[in-house]
Amino acid sequence: MHATQCHNKKLEVHPPRSDLRAPAIQVSGLTKSIPTATHRVDILRGIDLEIQLGEFVAIMGPSGSGKSTLLGLLAGLDTPTSGQIILDGEDITGLDEDRMALLRGRKVGFVFQSYHLLPTLTAEENVLLPYELTGGNGSSGISDGPKRARELLESVGLLDRRDHYPVQLSGGEQQRVALARAFMVRPPILLADEPTGNLDTENGKHVLELLISLNLREGTTLVLVTHDEALSSRASRRITLRDGRIVSDERENAERATEPRP
Amino acid sequence: MPNALPSRDREGVGILNFSWATACKIAWRESRSSSFKFLFVILAVAVGVGSLTGVRGFSRAFHEMLLSQARTLMAADLSLRVFELPTPQQDSALAALSRLGVDRTWITETVTMASASVEKPPMLVSVKAVDPKKYPFYGEIRLSPPAPLSRALTADTVAVSDDVLLRLNLKVGDSIRLGGQPFRIVGEVTYEPDRMLGTLNVGPRVMMTRDGLDRAGLILPGSRAAERFLFRLSPNSPGIEPVRERLKATFPDALIADFRESHPLVTQALNRATTFLSLVSLITLIIGAIGVGTAMRAHIQQRMDSIAIMKCIGARSSHVMRIYLLQTIALGLAGGLVGVAFGLVVQRVFPSFLARYFELEPTAHWDFVTAAQGIGIAVLASLLFTLPPLIGIRRIRPSLILRREMEETKPDWPTRFAEARASLLAGATILIGFAGIAMSFATGTPRDIWRTGEYFAGALVISFTALSAVAWLMLRVLKIASRGKLPASVRHGISNLYRPGAHAQSVLVALGVGVMFTLTIYLVQHGMIAEMNRSSPPGMPNVFLIDIAPKDRDAVLDLVKQQRGVEGAPEVIGTVAAKISSVDGQPVDQMNLKGFARRYRSPRSVTSAAAMPDYVDLVRGRWWDSASGAPQVCVDEDAAKILHIQPGSEMRWAISGREVQTRVACVQSIDSVHLSSRVEFIFNTSALAGFPVIYYSSLRAQPSTVPALQEALYKRFPTVTVVNIADVLQIIQGVVDRISQVVRFISMFAILAGAVILSSSVAGTRFRRMREVVILKTLGATRWRVSRIFSVEFLVLGAVAGLMGSLLAGGFANLLLKRMLDAQTSIPVVPIAVSVVATAFIANAAGWMASFPILGQKPLEILREE
Ligand SMILES: Nc1ncnc2c1ncn2[C@@H]1O[C@H](COP(=O)(O)OP(=O)(O)O)[C@@H](O)[C@H]1O
Ligand SMILES: [Mg+2]
Repeated sequence: MHATQCHNKKLEVHPPRSDLRAPAIQVSGLTKSIPTATHRVDILRGIDLEIQLGEFVAIMGPSGSGKSTLLGLLAGLDTPTSGQIILDGEDITGLDEDRMALLRGRKVGFVFQSYHLLPTLTAEENVLLPYELTGGNGSSGISDGPKRARELLESVGLLDRRDHYPVQLSGGEQQRVALARAFMVRPPILLADEPTGNLDTENGKHVLELLISLNLREGTTLVLVTHDEALSSRASRRITLRDGRIVSDERENAERATEPRP
Repeated sequence: MPNALPSRDREGVGILNFSWATACKIAWRESRSSSFKFLFVILAVAVGVGSLTGVRGFSRAFHEMLLSQARTLMAADLSLRVFELPTPQQDSALAALSRLGVDRTWITETVTMASASVEKPPMLVSVKAVDPKKYPFYGEIRLSPPAPLSRALTADTVAVSDDVLLRLNLKVGDSIRLGGQPFRIVGEVTYEPDRMLGTLNVGPRVMMTRDGLDRAGLILPGSRAAERFLFRLSPNSPGIEPVRERLKATFPDALIADFRESHPLVTQALNRATTFLSLVSLITLIIGAIGVGTAMRAHIQQRMDSIAIMKCIGARSSHVMRIYLLQTIALGLAGGLVGVAFGLVVQRVFPSFLARYFELEPTAHWDFVTAAQGIGIAVLASLLFTLPPLIGIRRIRPSLILRREMEETKPDWPTRFAEARASLLAGATILIGFAGIAMSFATGTPRDIWRTGEYFAGALVISFTALSAVAWLMLRVLKIASRGKLPASVRHGISNLYRPGAHAQSVLVALGVGVMFTLTIYLVQHGMIAEMNRSSPPGMPNVFLIDIAPKDRDAVLDLVKQQRGVEGAPEVIGTVAAKISSVDGQPVDQMNLKGFARRYRSPRSVTSAAAMPDYVDLVRGRWWDSASGAPQVCVDEDAAKILHIQPGSEMRWAISGREVQTRVACVQSIDSVHLSSRVEFIFNTSALAGFPVIYYSSLRAQPSTVPALQEALYKRFPTVTVVNIADVLQIIQGVVDRISQVVRFISMFAILAGAVILSSSVAGTRFRRMREVVILKTLGATRWRVSRIFSVEFLVLGAVAGLMGSLLAGGFANLLLKRMLDAQTSIPVVPIAVSVVATAFIANAAGWMASFPILGQKPLEILREE
């Protein structure tokens, strides 16, 4: 605990230098078990993984294999039972809630299967939220938040709906707002958990195209959980989980995939 | 969206035999899955019911305590003063009453001369003959040296007050002569709580048995005696009112009073306390119901997803309603039970605290009616408040959950109206239900009960409408205001209030109504206590000097002023003995006067005044502009009623053998604490000029110094009679003080309960917040950041609710004070300011406490709940 805190402070003072870039995500010996009333559920049984900056990784696997749990751990939304996670050079294991939240705000964008927009905010305000939460232009390097929010809304085709509340938007539209929100502060890492799972084929395809194009444009590291074979074939890397273990990890020809960020 | 299931549903293939048992099972299963949330609802209901039963229980216990103290001032439940001894028929009616369990004792009061021995000068004493085996029915007569009255008094003994000993230069154990017979003095009467009751209590007291009275031969035909019967009701005898009715029928001319009328101050204080206590009960009922209601509403709103899912898999609206109806009843019942238990614990624990700090000792007792009412109200309030959302079940589309999609547009006006009609209907049902409960709480005549219901419903409708309107307006204003340049978390906090699904309006209304009623209790309490203090100021006279000759007047006053322990200046009035000859031409002797009203046939003491004293309340007419001029008189209200006197009436008087003609200028009423209130007719000064005057004086002295004053006065002015009511007044003041303490305590308790319930209604928004907290955290908000956003939200919410609620409370309390308590009114600026701040603070603290545990939770757990 103490060690990680010191470690953490140091890292906050010295952000990783661009010429000597650490991998976007480093995971070693990661396990997650949950004690239930009757027995212990071992959800993740030892994951070792390294994802480079700018990679597009698809995570596949049957339902219940631990994909969502893994993604949640990567985003620091839960604490692992054992193992270590390093995000963009920062060790997040054992970070307290607030440091974790701050780090997430800067480094991780998240797209959920069920959108999770704040029902009390309009589309535009939802997109703007991460920018406001990270303290405006200071740390995110974005000079004009509202302008960027509108640009993002435009690129997901919802500029004219920016004053609408989530309940006034369809599922596909809500997910597009969620996409715009995830890219708002240019996080180096984007995690997406079955973002099309709740959508029909048409809308799902649209959302996915947007996700991939935004990802290319922003040069983000993308980790995407999906069941879609066709989609996964567009990824630079396919990792398959089963029963909480990685059972396969295949890379495409590296030509289009791992272009480091400019 | 087209629904794939309804056809199946209609044919009944989906759920064929959906019995109540099945509904029960499903309701139970659902509550098991999220037991924490259900526990929360039960606790919220319990807090409401607990405060309600606690306050009601206390009210009852206090009321009984006050009544029992009031009884000691009469020494009985009822007193009957007769002017002739009972006829045989009347005797048999009394005997019939005693067979019904109404115990009775006979008291005779008269005045006579007493002396230490045959050769010593006698003095006038007032004799009270009692049956020491029965008298007093309540309280006790204390003697010094201490001895029970029943043993001390025999046919040969008497007990006397200290001034008898002083004036006749006797001590306990000596002999005193009454009616030529010797009696042994067994003790000094130090405490006689019902002394004020007698009409012949002016002189020093001699208390004796009836046998002694007979032996002294003091009562001869035509002698001046007052006969009284005291009654005590047993638990299984008829109540006060029926007994009173029977006595009235048997003794049409007699003066009947019950223990609530032993002294005007006590009567007034008791009446006010009774009104106030039932008011507080009603108000805690509303606040409690709001607590129950908001908890249940929040609960049902969270169940909406489950309801949608059930409809998806083929449940009909009626099935779903059944499930949630059962769940509501179960929750209400559980909350009610826990609450009643909680209320009982409070009542058990508090008395020891009360005894220590408030000198109140209510007897807490298991009150089945209150408990049943509490549980009934919990269930009823739960049902009534969940009715509107349950009616709304019909409208929930299954698509809500399947596609997480919603209509893009609002429904058009006719549809909205149709939907609102159901809610309005439910609202009306709620109102009628509660007015009914309120009426079941009320006491008094059917008209009073009816009026209680009306007031109650009126207050509810007005406050809810006003609050809803202001809440709506407020949210509009906030929406516009938040467009300005504000820090992000302030803007976010404020916008949380007016966004769709924020429920701010309902919380605002609940909070506002709560504040309104809680503050109303405080304001009414405050006004009432102020009024009680006004009518019984601490400087109220407790010593009266009677028969001061004009030549002694200044010397007596000087002597009094030099005495230690005398507080303030003595009040003096000069009186003239005047007999009424006729009113508007009708001679008094020909008027049909009964019982005590016959006093107007004898000379009365009257006084004169130039300017109107500030304690005079003019009922009708005008006070004279100048004291000189034609004779005018201002008449006491009661006398005016008996003698049919109006302003403008002509009264003829016989004063010292002279005929005086007066015009009636006004009808007045004077608070009984003032000396002038004992004089029913006030003339203008010129009317009484030249007539022989006797002065009366009243003053306030520390009770312990009164004997010294008496002695000093007796030595220099033996003809001046000193009436010492210091001890009696102390008892009365004690009862009045106790009443105000009860009122203070109960209102404090109710305010506390109100605060707790308000907190729980804010805390009830907790589960709604979970998802928001998690999303904010996922997007990078720290706990501090999230709590800042919420703080702004709660502070604004609390301050606005506090402002609206307290403004309404100001109006409402003034209305109540005026209508129900006859008290003065004012605009309570400070209390309003304090309530605004306090509500903001409470809302913030409660919201914070409720949200704090969520802040630390791992986001993934909650996100998985989706
Ligand atoms: N809080 C929990 N309690 C018990 N079991 C859990 C909990 N969270 C996840 N699981 C179990 O862990 C397994 C993996 O879940 P998840 O990561 O959601 O799988 P996936 O996203 O691959 O479908 C599932 O079998 C699930 O039942
Ligand atoms: Mg999953």
